[in-house]
Amino acid sequence: MSDAEQPTDDHVPGDDEFEPIQVFPEAEEMDLRPGADNCYKCSTCDTNCPVAEVDDEFPGPKFQGPEQWRLKRQDDHDIDDSVMKCSNCMRCDSACPSEVPLSQMHNTARAEYVEENMSKFSREYWRNRMLSNYRQLAPLAATFPRTANFVMGLSVTKWMGEKVLGIAGDRDFPEFAKTTFREWWAKRGGNATSRERAQEARAERGAEVQNEDKRIAYFHGCYSNYNTTEVGKALVRVFEHFGYEVMIPEQACSGTPMFANGMLDDARRAAETNVRELSAAIEDGADIIASCTSCSMSLRQEYPELFDFDGTEDVAENTWEAVEYLRVHEDLEGELEGTQVDDTNFAYHAPCHSRNQGLDGQTMEVMSAIDGVEAEDVGDSCSGISGTYGWKEENYETSMKIGEEMFDHMEDAEATTGLTECPTCSMQMEHGTGYEIQHTLQVLEAALVGTELEEA
Amino acid sequence: MAHDTEVLVLGGGSTGCGIARDLAMRGLEVTLVERGNLTDGTTGRMHGLLHSGGRYAVSDQASAIECIEENKILRDIAGHCVEMTGGLFVQRPEDPDEYFQEKLEGCRECNIPARVLSGREARTVEPYLAKDVKRAIQVPDGAIDPFRLCVANAIDAERHGARIETHAEVVDLLRNGDDIYGVEVRHDSGPGKRTHKTPGTTEEITADYVVNATGAWAGQIGAMADLDIEVRPSKGVMTIMNVRQVDTVVNRCRPKGDADIVVPHETTAILGTTDEEVEDPDDYPEEGWEVDMMIDTLSELVPILEEARTIRSFWGVRPLYEPPGRGTKDPTDITRDFFLLDHEDRDGVDGMSSIVGGKFTTYRAMAEQISDHVCEQLGVSASCTTAEESLPGSENLEVLEKGMDDFGLRSPVARRSKQRLGSRSPEVLDTDEANPVICQCEGVTRAEVCDAISQSGSDLNAVRIRTRASMGNCQGGFCCQNMASELHPEYDEETTREALDELFQERWKGERHALWGEQLSQAMLNYALHATTMNRDNDPASAAEPVEYGAFDTGVQ
Repeated sequence: MSDAEQPTDDHVPGDDEFEPIQVFPEAEEMDLRPGADNCYKCSTCDTNCPVAEVDDEFPGPKFQGPEQWRLKRQDDHDIDDSVMKCSNCMRCDSACPSEVPLSQMHNTARAEYVEENMSKFSREYWRNRMLSNYRQLAPLAATFPRTANFVMGLSVTKWMGEKVLGIAGDRDFPEFAKTTFREWWAKRGGNATSRERAQEARAERGAEVQNEDKRIAYFHGCYSNYNTTEVGKALVRVFEHFGYEVMIPEQACSGTPMFANGMLDDARRAAETNVRELSAAIEDGADIIASCTSCSMSLRQEYPELFDFDGTEDVAENTWEAVEYLRVHEDLEGELEGTQVDDTNFAYHAPCHSRNQGLDGQTMEVMSAIDGVEAEDVGDSCSGISGTYGWKEENYETSMKIGEEMFDHMEDAEATTGLTECPTCSMQMEHGTGYEIQHTLQVLEAALVGTELEEA
Repeated sequence: MAHDTEVLVLGGGSTGCGIARDLAMRGLEVTLVERGNLTDGTTGRMHGLLHSGGRYAVSDQASAIECIEENKILRDIAGHCVEMTGGLFVQRPEDPDEYFQEKLEGCRECNIPARVLSGREARTVEPYLAKDVKRAIQVPDGAIDPFRLCVANAIDAERHGARIETHAEVVDLLRNGDDIYGVEVRHDSGPGKRTHKTPGTTEEITADYVVNATGAWAGQIGAMADLDIEVRPSKGVMTIMNVRQVDTVVNRCRPKGDADIVVPHETTAILGTTDEEVEDPDDYPEEGWEVDMMIDTLSELVPILEEARTIRSFWGVRPLYEPPGRGTKDPTDITRDFFLLDHEDRDGVDGMSSIVGGKFTTYRAMAEQISDHVCEQLGVSASCTTAEESLPGSENLEVLEKGMDDFGLRSPVARRSKQRLGSRSPEVLDTDEANPVICQCEGVTRAEVCDAISQSGSDLNAVRIRTRASMGNCQGGFCCQNMASELHPEYDEETTREALDELFQERWKGERHALWGEQLSQAMLNYALHATTMNRDNDPASAAEPVEYGAFDTGVQ
């Protein structure tokens, strides 16, 4: 029967070609109710939630996720405000025995809450927007690092921060590096220099000098670029030591702080840039390496759960955490045998996001390969800061309560230095104990390359 | 001889409760008796569709017109029981165009608002529809909660002086020659609110007029007075999904067939149904293949159903009737119209009429016609007001919608509670007592549970139908015992335990038809919680003999 014979047809053009409806609509409209099918309410997520453990008012992940979604109808938008108390540590994801997409449910519910229920004129909204878009403010501070560090350190600034913005006044703002990682990289000669050094290293190791496969694209994230540039530099040197040519693609924030604050539009913009740039790097034969476990988590899990740009899955599949990559592709422990470092006693905390990627044991194993190194795992509790969470005045106390277990274990440890892969965990560890904190890559650099090889 | 009551209504389903309310509002003295809980027969075993009439627009236009009229009235008087979801008649590529056309024209002839949507538009409304659906007709179908509706009718009847007796089974019709003048009932636990473990009693209730509104059971009642009522009960299976895959009623647009409708219902979606004649409305096989067939067939329309979790299945029996001599073979062809059988005209026995056939959406119109008949019989002139007077819970709903009060509850819990309680929300939820959530799956708080207990005694199934507590994905595994705790201390330990067992068994009855995938995990977890953690599989406290504590050692070594 032709259309002409169907007087009731409304003749929508292209109606017969089945353009599938968008698989992932805007997150605020995403229907995750079917995900509640997997929950049989065992409550394991609730017993693993660090926030629920210290805050009786917090209803826990089971309510935030499957229960709240199941109670929802298409047009209901009144998400309970307790979703803002979730710290996005994502421990519930790994705790669940039944594959409920908890953090995806929380992320979308939080986005919907911010979109529909939070005033765009409120202090909370702007504070959260600022915290999650730290990447946008950092370049300014990095241009005048001395001034910025001085101003941020002033008690009057902290007081203003707390009173005006609701940023916890007890916290010390992270120091800005005098030269950003990318500036250092450019001055060092960029990718061309790295290729040379990789080739030198290959020659020295007796490997084939020309090797297209030994190429990585480093996703440094914001913190290694503006604050702890030594982590970024360590990564470059360690990978070059193994003969890898390093590329540093253009990149935006991974989106982690934006998910945690329900700023999904901001996160989408950042993710679009990252997927585009990192896809291009994959085309060029590189694997994607991150030094921050939240960044790698975001690229691997949250992007495919929340976005559907071309290449999203491809980026997720080709992203690795730095130490994980070396353990899989190189004989990292063998290489470390017989090496030594000055600093030998570490207190190690595995970040929640490394735990979720199954990487919480790797640093301990790697450390034990270095001669004389004593590393002590300070337990499987959450550090409590969870990115921007612990920076908020209203969460500060909860954050410190969650961290208490880790602080105690660190105090008791026979260690001189703290060790972790997550920048905000390191802030919390330092804040709670006064330890100096290093990244695993820095120890590897000291063992394999030494620190005095090139100008900092 | 003065009778106990003017009118005695048999059956606490939608028809019976509707008649009781109608007559009580007209000022008559009414008593209603029901064998089990309100809605225990067919009313509580339907898919919760508020018909637009679209389903009957081709086959039975008189019913279709009645449906759209009643649909509008119920939105008005029973707003808190109705969710106007809208409905779609969806055509798949293999479904006939001619029928689609007939359906559309039929809707227009019956004044049912109908709009044609392209396949893509239909999928914008319902993203989980199959990608190859061809077209759809959008009609004002809705979802209705039969439990709340029935209870609201009963409450309003009581407010107008009616006596409502549940758990009062009719054991005999009282007949003197050609006159039926009442019934004998057996009260499960004495008259009034039910209290488990209270000894039963029997009572003769005499009336000026008896209305037999027992639906599929009308034949059994008739037989007690040697009256032959040819109901042809027909069973249909319904399966409850864990979540709403659709927020709109989705019908398959084809002439007839089993498994052609998905109704969003509260937090769930209900799949329906089949149509097969049975001998005995209390005893018929419930077979697994019926559930499988329904899921398979409906997956053609909504593919996600194939993998989705079902939480239970249940069967209901339609009270079909056809006048003698028609001889229809296929129950799907038997009319859905209702019949008022006046036994005086029909059998020469006065004092009673029976109502058979009919459908839930038009319960009020049916009740009105029957009440008119009763008034005529009794020589009362009073007119019907049920189309204008809102039911308790639906008064001034717009005021409630404007109010932002969350009664200190988390927003999804407050939203669901207010949707259930309607205008009764402040009265129930505004409490100084601690008000924790008792049923997490459905968001039911202690205040709502206690309100239901105050209406229905120790019967937790009566609490369930009023509140939806224990009707969610854990099927009571996590909340039955907490609901039972609320009975104490008003009811003693033994009563509470009995009430808990009864509720838990009722939940298991439907859940056993969903034992695969996640619901099987759920059942195992429920078993672990109840049998092991709570020791309910072998609890000495439930034994008839008192526990011999002396037989235990002191625990000291």
